[in-house]
Amino acid sequence: MVGGDLLVEARRRAGISQAELSRRSGVPPSLIGRYERYEVTPSLERLRSLIRAAGFELSMRLARVDPSNHDQVLIERELRRTPAERLRRGLMAGRQFGALTARPRSVRA
Amino acid sequence: MSEPDPLKILGALERHRVRFVLIGAAAARIAGAPVVTEDIDITPATDKANLERLVAALKELRARLRSPSDRGGVPFPLDAHMLRTADLWTLTTSAGELDICFTPSGTRGYRDLRREALRTRIGPGISVSVASLRDVIRSKEAAGRDKDLAQLPLLRRTLEQIRERKT
Repeated sequence: MVGGDLLVEARRRAGISQAELSRRSGVPPSLIGRYERYEVTPSLERLRSLIRAAGFELSMRLARVDPSNHDQVLIERELRRTPAERLRRGLMAGRQFGALTARPRSVRA
Repeated sequence: MSEPDPLKILGALERHRVRFVLIGAAAARIAGAPVVTEDIDITPATDKANLERLVAALKELRARLRSPSDRGGVPFPLDAHMLRTADLWTLTTSAGELDICFTPSGTRGYRDLRREALRTRIGPGISVSVASLRDVIRSKEAAGRDKDLAQLPLLRRTLEQIRERKT
């Protein structure tokens, strides 16, 4: 989840509008909207203060980079497919997975 | 039950003009997340006319309640009023498993999910409204079940890569 999504999520959880967040933070509502639509990227400090104004704390941590980048490769490959292909392959994998997990049941039967 | 074919389920819902949003792992997969999906989860609109169309589609699909003790499912009185007596229905149909959830965790249901949903072609002649990946993540975060939490890092990573591609 990245900046704009965090802002939307913080507002949703707090149940407040862009106008209310603007009132609490002093940041113009039009700018909050632009952050949420990814038209403008807020600085980390601005993001932190907006999230705080919504009643939350933005916490961060350092994580080691996965040198294999396995997920990134899988995602890139998936994004090159059409939505229909993605669903078809996801369902096919699901059927294979289901067949594997169903095997012990059929043995018992 | 014949061979599972979730596209048949979605096709029947579309033919009956049911207003719904596809949610869950299938929606995440369509968005580009490399996750496995075994069944179809939907959030339908709750107005009476739509529920009646949903009932017609479910009857065509010979929907029954899913039961661990009976793989064929358990028959139940299928009508629009009955559907509104519960928020979650786990069904088995002639084309596979179908979960109907009127208010997925962390959302306010169909009208909420529809705002960011995207009409997407997902098979020959079948286009459906698919929940945004952001909403799928929001819902899984709120649900907080182990299987949802396990998927979250991959879903977030996918969302980030989609964003990066746009910039």
